[in-house]
Amino acid sequence: MQGSDAVELVRPDTLEEALAAKAERPGAVPLAGGTDVMVELNYDHRRPEALVDLTRIAELATWSASGGHVRLGAGVPYTRLIDELGDTLPGLAMASRTVGSPQIRNRGTVGGNLGAASPAGDTHPVLLAAGAEIEVASVRGARRIPADTFYTGVKRNALAPDELITAVHVPSAAVPAEQFSKVGTRNAMVIAVCSFALVLRDGHVGAAIGSAAPTPRRVPDAEAFLAAELPWGTDAPLPDSLKRRFGELVAAATEPIDDVRGTAEYRTHALGVLARRTLTWAWDDHRGSVRACA
Amino acid sequence: MTRSIERVAAVGTAPERVDGRAKVAGKAPYAYEHPVERPAYAHPIQATIAAGRVRGIDTARALAVDGVHTVLTPDNAPPLRRGQDAELEILQAPDVAFRGQIIGCVVADTPEAARHAADLVAVDYERRDHDVTLASDRPDLYRPGEVSHEADTEDGDVDAALAGAAARVEAEYRTARNHNNPLEPHTTVAVWDADGLTLYDSTQGVHSLRSAVAEVFDLDESRIRVLAPYVGGGFGSKGTAHAHVVLAALAAKRMSGRPVKLALTRQQTFTLAGYRTPTVQRVALGADTDGRIDALAVDVVEQTSRVKAFAEQTALPSRTMYAAPHRRTTHRMAALDVPVTSWMRAPGVCPGMFGPEVAMDELAERCGLDPIELRLRNEPDRDPETGKPYSTRNLAECLRGGARRFGWDARPAAPRQTRQGEWWIGTGVASSTYPVHHAPGSAARIERRADGRYHVGVGAVDIGTGAWTVLGQIAADALGVDREDVVVTVGDTALPFASVAGGSSGTTNWGSAIVAAAHGFRARFGDDDPPAGSEHTESAPENPDTERFAMHAFGAQFAEVHVSADTGEIRVPRLLGVFAAGRIVNPRLARSQFLGGMTMGLSMALHEEGVMDERLGMVVNHDLAEYHVATNADVPSVEAEWIDEHDPHVNPMGTKGIGEIGIVGTAAAVANAAYHATGVRVRELPVTADRFLTA
Amino acid sequence: MRVNLTVNGERRRADDVWEGESLLYVLRERLGLPGSKNACEQGECGSCTVYLDDVPACACLVAAGQAEGREVRTVEGLADGDALDPVQQSFVDAGAVQCGFCTPGLVVAAHDLLRREPDPSDEEIREALAGNLCRCTGYEKILDAVHSAAGAR
Repeated sequence: MQGSDAVELVRPDTLEEALAAKAERPGAVPLAGGTDVMVELNYDHRRPEALVDLTRIAELATWSASGGHVRLGAGVPYTRLIDELGDTLPGLAMASRTVGSPQIRNRGTVGGNLGAASPAGDTHPVLLAAGAEIEVASVRGARRIPADTFYTGVKRNALAPDELITAVHVPSAAVPAEQFSKVGTRNAMVIAVCSFALVLRDGHVGAAIGSAAPTPRRVPDAEAFLAAELPWGTDAPLPDSLKRRFGELVAAATEPIDDVRGTAEYRTHALGVLARRTLTWAWDDHRGSVRACA
Repeated sequence: MTRSIERVAAVGTAPERVDGRAKVAGKAPYAYEHPVERPAYAHPIQATIAAGRVRGIDTARALAVDGVHTVLTPDNAPPLRRGQDAELEILQAPDVAFRGQIIGCVVADTPEAARHAADLVAVDYERRDHDVTLASDRPDLYRPGEVSHEADTEDGDVDAALAGAAARVEAEYRTARNHNNPLEPHTTVAVWDADGLTLYDSTQGVHSLRSAVAEVFDLDESRIRVLAPYVGGGFGSKGTAHAHVVLAALAAKRMSGRPVKLALTRQQTFTLAGYRTPTVQRVALGADTDGRIDALAVDVVEQTSRVKAFAEQTALPSRTMYAAPHRRTTHRMAALDVPVTSWMRAPGVCPGMFGPEVAMDELAERCGLDPIELRLRNEPDRDPETGKPYSTRNLAECLRGGARRFGWDARPAAPRQTRQGEWWIGTGVASSTYPVHHAPGSAARIERRADGRYHVGVGAVDIGTGAWTVLGQIAADALGVDREDVVVTVGDTALPFASVAGGSSGTTNWGSAIVAAAHGFRARFGDDDPPAGSEHTESAPENPDTERFAMHAFGAQFAEVHVSADTGEIRVPRLLGVFAAGRIVNPRLARSQFLGGMTMGLSMALHEEGVMDERLGMVVNHDLAEYHVATNADVPSVEAEWIDEHDPHVNPMGTKGIGEIGIVGTAAAVANAAYHATGVRVRELPVTADRFLTA
Repeated sequence: MRVNLTVNGERRRADDVWEGESLLYVLRERLGLPGSKNACEQGECGSCTVYLDDVPACACLVAAGQAEGREVRTVEGLADGDALDPVQQSFVDAGAVQCGFCTPGLVVAAHDLLRREPDPSDEEIREALAGNLCRCTGYEKILDAVHSAAGAR
């Protein structure tokens, strides 16, 4: 028995079938770990014309590493990312560890996080800071969208109606100078009050904020400042003034709101702290690698 | 005094809970899980405005959904008897008193169809501007009528005494709107047949629920049966009947014989199952140079729903806690367009021990006294409110014993003295108390059966407290038999009347009934091997000592709090509670009760706040993703201890009740510890990171 | 639609399943297995935790159709007849059960933890069980139960 507005469940075994289904019904909603979509269905908040179950498509649940990049299938659950890619993608693994609970991490995926595009999604700042690209596909072909241009608004992204997220391409960390930190009100099961990711790589700085603007976003002024001022290639300690200035530039780039989780003022303050903190940790990683090479 | 149990053998031991095996195996049937034939499913339609009236409801799209049988609305619902409890008298008038109020109901073959159809109902409203803002300076605040205690008290001349006090604290404290959130959302299965109405309900009181339903349906109580063998927590929210029970019964009535199942969603419980009002507490304490309190004033402002008045008796505990010759307590209420406020764990007492117990911490500092010493100096030798002696009052022993165990002496007197890396570290203390409640009329039936065992029936409800188990221990001792020879049955109105599982009074009321019944049974049938079929039912007698003594449990709560100097994040690595709560019937079950109460207090201190969006007139964080309760990772160490307290007056068992005292005082201890850590005084719950930005 | 799956070792079939229906609903209302509880519908409370192909998941967040052909193990499938699993027995022994509504999900989550980590630390237990809310116990006795189950294995 069923209500009106019937929902069709499409269960493709291959990506090709999934893309065909999505092309045929652009309103179809992709379903993987269910951590967002099932809530909306349970609550009857939405009743899409169709659901496309992606969990049967083996190629979405695989990852591969080559040429300094990891191609992470959109359907790889956080738990596997943490277990299998903790060393290769330390920043992404760090953010993944803070997602929900073990049950949620067993099912939830980076692809799902991208599809939902919530400003509070935990993996977004890392993907932005790492310079990741989101691979999307449709029957028209595949393309890659830089994380920079992927988030277009609150819970909106750059996908065309017929496209599915198939993978993310993330530069792997030759030197694991990647850090993620977030503030939450509990010790677990935390939706970020605000979050921050920092990636240091060969003179390049990637830094991004979460939960502090309508979309997750990079902080270009802070990145440029740090890229110019860091004593790259040395294991010199960082002066407090540099950390402070970095924190100020990050705080200046926020555009937060007051909500039940925290005030705008608090978010701005806390992001300055997270910026200084992650910089200290990431620079320690960098110094360690410099010393190891020396 | 009352006649005590003569032999204590089972009481005080720690048998496992009798319902434990069924619960861990997933085989304990909760209300929704009682098998019924071919059930239909009901889903409420809720108002999406906070004030006004329903002008019209278009149910055409809902009725067109496959499997939908009917849509109940104010236009077509069966009549109810009105004039008693407006919360329950649903669908009798088009008025909307709060956002989320039940204005209809879809009944369908599946819950999915019912829920979806409910969303398809189009409602035309006549809106009125709503008013959901609680403020202590509202001109329309009113004094509630007497509930169990008078709303206001005044002794001596408080203002003069405050003016002349050597040390004074005057400040406003606030507690947040808290939602009970038992893990089991409220559910009802309703079946009408020729005999009447049967309800499988997640309730804290089968008999009290039956009375409420009988009243509103104008039915004789004998035609209603309520069953609740397993209930997934309540914390007060299942202590009174709520509207969904009536809705399920109405729907079942319309379905002529077909059972109807109704489960509130978690979100619906935020508006339909009661909650604790936010409170504003103006507290004034005046003391002499030795810290002896001369004046005490607690003036409380809180909210109630326009549809039904409920007065949280927040000033109550301050009336009995502190000796002070000049004293004033008041309650004022704002009637708002908000859902019905109701009981939540330690109603009145829990919020009412926040303001005064933080004020005590502030007074200690003004007087240059240790907060424990200040409390010890203000221990009354008689109940300050009634002038009666206490049956037992061992707060001092709890404070002293707790201090030893917690390592209180090593604590620096001044705040903001201890820092480890990024963390400021502090400790705090607060007193705890809860009254011993007695409710008349509970009865128990004892029957010797052919299996050789004594079958004890009482219409009590075990909502997770362990009542089922401890009643067997009490019965064994009262009968003078082994615990294994006793079988207890609870949770059914077919059993003798029992008071509601609330106010930490279950063991007192039901245990007293069992002791009376056991003594009566032995008097009738003798002590030796009575024949199968011997049966005796008796009610608990009145306890004359309740008139002669003030009866309260007491406790001391200790907290260690770490506050990040960088982010203001708060962690509570350690809580200790020491309680004086009479005899502990089952240590294994009791400890978990205390710990659970303390953890809920921690949750109240740091997380719990229903945030009202005043434009919409609703609580926006109405689910467990946004209304945070403490998780396993938030409570590194919680310890509960108790002192061996013998109170011959409270009841035959010497018990005082332990379900609520654990939550009382915890939040104050945490806030006091946060002050000791940082020097930042937070007088408003929850204590959140942004308050420490300047720290 | 029809869903075929293996539940607690038995081949089961559910008919007339709505496409958006959760695995939790199918277990509770169609297959007569109400042990897994429905308390939040959003994966926040963990009361509906089951093994799905040997991996713990919130059954409320799994579409029933996603379980087609897969193996599900619920709290009802942990005991061997009347003999409780050591984790279940430890919950009873430690006094870690109160109202019992969170218990089935917690038992499954703890069972999984001990398969992965036979002797977990306090911190590991608290983290592993952080997605299972309990409103009664304050979690302390649950911690004791997991430790004691670890010892019993």
